[in-house]
Amino acid sequence: MSSATEVLGLARTEPRARLVGGICAGLGVTLLLLPGLLWAAIGVELLALAFWLWARALPDRAEQMPRWAWLRRPAMALWLAAALALVLPPPPGMQGLATVLQMPQWVAPASASERDPLALLRTLQSLAVLWAGLELLAALPLSRPYPDLTGPLPVVGPWLTAMLPGTGFLVLWRQSAAWTSGPLVSEIAAATLLLAAALAVLRAYSRRSLIASLRWLAVFDSALAAMLLAVNAVTGEVAALLWLAAAGGRLTALAAELRGSAARRGPELTFLWRLAGWTASASLAWPLLLTVGFGRARFHSVEFVLLAAPIFLAARLSLSRVVEVRERRTADRPDPLSALSRAGAIATLLLGPLALLVGWWRGLEGSFPGVIVAMVPALLAWWRRAPRTTGLGEVLRAPVAAGATARDFALNAFRAVTAFETRLSAALAALVRALGAPARDLHSGDAQEYLLFLVGVSVLALLLPLLR
Amino acid sequence: MMFTLPPPAVSAGLLALVAALLLRAVHPARPGAFAPLSLLASIAALAPLAWTVAAPQAVSPLRAVLLAALAIALLARDMKDSLQTEVALKLTWVLGAAFALSWAGDSLLTLAAGTAVPQEQWSALSLSLDPYALWSAALLLTLLAGLVLLGGAPFHFWPADVLHGTRVWMAPLIVAALQAAGASWLLQRLASLEGFAAGTRVTGGLLSLAAVLALVGGAFTLIASRRPERRVGGLASLQGALVLVAFSAEPVRSPFASIGPYSLSAWAAHLALALTGAAALARFLPTQSAESDAPPVLARKHPWSAGAAAYALLSLAGAPGTPGMLLWLEVARRLAATRHPGLLLALLLAWLVAVGVAVSETRRLFGAPSEKPAPEATVPRPARFALWAAAGGLLALLFVWSMGA
Repeated sequence: MSSATEVLGLARTEPRARLVGGICAGLGVTLLLLPGLLWAAIGVELLALAFWLWARALPDRAEQMPRWAWLRRPAMALWLAAALALVLPPPPGMQGLATVLQMPQWVAPASASERDPLALLRTLQSLAVLWAGLELLAALPLSRPYPDLTGPLPVVGPWLTAMLPGTGFLVLWRQSAAWTSGPLVSEIAAATLLLAAALAVLRAYSRRSLIASLRWLAVFDSALAAMLLAVNAVTGEVAALLWLAAAGGRLTALAAELRGSAARRGPELTFLWRLAGWTASASLAWPLLLTVGFGRARFHSVEFVLLAAPIFLAARLSLSRVVEVRERRTADRPDPLSALSRAGAIATLLLGPLALLVGWWRGLEGSFPGVIVAMVPALLAWWRRAPRTTGLGEVLRAPVAAGATARDFALNAFRAVTAFETRLSAALAALVRALGAPARDLHSGDAQEYLLFLVGVSVLALLLPLLR
Repeated sequence: MMFTLPPPAVSAGLLALVAALLLRAVHPARPGAFAPLSLLASIAALAPLAWTVAAPQAVSPLRAVLLAALAIALLARDMKDSLQTEVALKLTWVLGAAFALSWAGDSLLTLAAGTAVPQEQWSALSLSLDPYALWSAALLLTLLAGLVLLGGAPFHFWPADVLHGTRVWMAPLIVAALQAAGASWLLQRLASLEGFAAGTRVTGGLLSLAAVLALVGGAFTLIASRRPERRVGGLASLQGALVLVAFSAEPVRSPFASIGPYSLSAWAAHLALALTGAAALARFLPTQSAESDAPPVLARKHPWSAGAAAYALLSLAGAPGTPGMLLWLEVARRLAATRHPGLLLALLLAWLVAVGVAVSETRRLFGAPSEKPAPEATVPRPARFALWAAAGGLLALLFVWSMGA
């Protein structure tokens, strides 16, 4: 067999699969940066292909291949959206690019002549794009658990699953015109992303290792950045810069952590990473809290609290989880990884405020005291409470004494929600299977049954006009 | 009927015939005095089917009956093959009854209109001298044979039966030719109907209902099918549904006619080529296997040929990058232009299921690398050439249509 034949589709050996998969994944992520639903669909399809190639070359492929099969779902959703974009004509009275910028008339058309009969399909297109982005972001029930798993590429496995939420954000960012215009779609997106962010930060808190926490914090940051787009807090470019600072910082820290804990070597570097993580996270959260909490000239207390709680926890984790690693080497040797890690931390530290500056330059502004209050959740993370030994009631102390901690609460809350979602999905799947069962019966009969069926249809054809 | 044949359709029909003969060459001829004539007999039997694929517009109702008889005779020839004779029996029952009912409807329509010429019938019926129940029931019955021949759900059992129970060299051409005859049947019955508004309404409603049933039923069946051959049959049934959808969008226009090359011939040519590759591929796929299992011999020994076969399967499903997708897009555009959101939604969902199943089958085809040594046996060269002929023809169609569009 020629080498060209091998490369075609049968990347038999693991190194070759790694290479072909890497090319597919790189190309896929690059295509996600382009505007246009077709490019996004091809990009996610290539990403799914890369995971399939990597998974099939592993010794535990029987487990890995079904595990990553869900990646075809967002690809299919984007194909659906791309097909609709190719097929649907502009809404009545709209031409060219304006079609994606104006909300279709969905609830109350001005008159019968102005009603758009294809409005439902336009909404479906928006929902399909949103579905793809949210599923890659681990914000939908079926894909929620994947950031806990290691990717199918052994060398960079943990980093790989931290990269996927980023691709979800890229889809939502570059295709924002296709989904933010749909009626109610932005509201659905904001609610789903809020739940995803809360669950992600709870999971990050419940995991003890820094690697696992960073993966979930990348999900949290990507969800928050996508929420910036959903509530139209900042322009797409500013949201992307803020996401790059926050989630990009987590990915860089994760890469450093996977290379000999290079983010936690020495007190100075450790503090630098703490500060960088906190700054990027706070920069991302500030415009969001400002818009959600103080939008439309009044204070929205419920929304503010719901958003501020996970933001506080994430900021707290950024500070407390990066703990200096004990140096076991006696001789101090020059370490290029340490220099790279320092450069990454400085870039992360500067990028967040820089993005806010760009945002301010492009019109981001807030009213007093909103601009101050929106900073409070992140600032509170610096406050360290002294351990209290007295004053805690017996009732409150009992669960702690029995071993139940805040981490247990976070873990149980996450598990309860995911278990509920899993059961709901299974019930829906069973319902669809039950409804589809007659299709199989209709497809496997004998000749006489088919004849009787045909005669029945003919009788129906004769009777229907008589019943008119 | 006078018509000009588009060269791509003729070439595709010829290519489908060549591919069928190549697949025929894999099966040894039965020993006997007439063994040397076996190839000639095969050509004689398959040529009318290929001709139907290249020129479906030329298939009159009488020719459709003869074509069905030829297909049944081909299937029933080998009486020792119980699966194949069972398929022949099913086709005889169902197509015979469908033709009889349509003939009865045609007679009723002649009785109501006082003329046997369809174009004159509509003018006579538009005078509203006859009871609605009579002519509408008759009109619906006349379309029945076309609906059954197209193989859309709930009549979608026969393409799957033929592809499952019949030899691979004849099955694709039989299915494609009968489906093309069905499309032609509807086209001819609906010719000049635009002058008869009530008739257009009645047929439009019936065709819309039939199209939705065909799409939804076909998609469900595709998910529920367990054998790869039946999945290919399900995809063929969705191709029939595609024609129904095109008719229901605009009953008085030929499907795929809005752009020159996308005529009924083009659809039939694509169907024959895609079915040839997909049906041959289905014979190599195991009935039950996971994506992580070792690939079948075709992919292990001849991955490029497997890629060609997979392309045919993906085109049958209308996957992006294939000529099949252009056909689906063409119908979807027509639905959007004529404001049929419900049908368009059903079409899109069926398309998603079809592409999903085709991709899943492709992944099963390539499976996962195996440590076990590859089997000694190889796939016969004529069979591989047939796969290449199908894929090459599809690529040529994609090129021609893309240039035409």
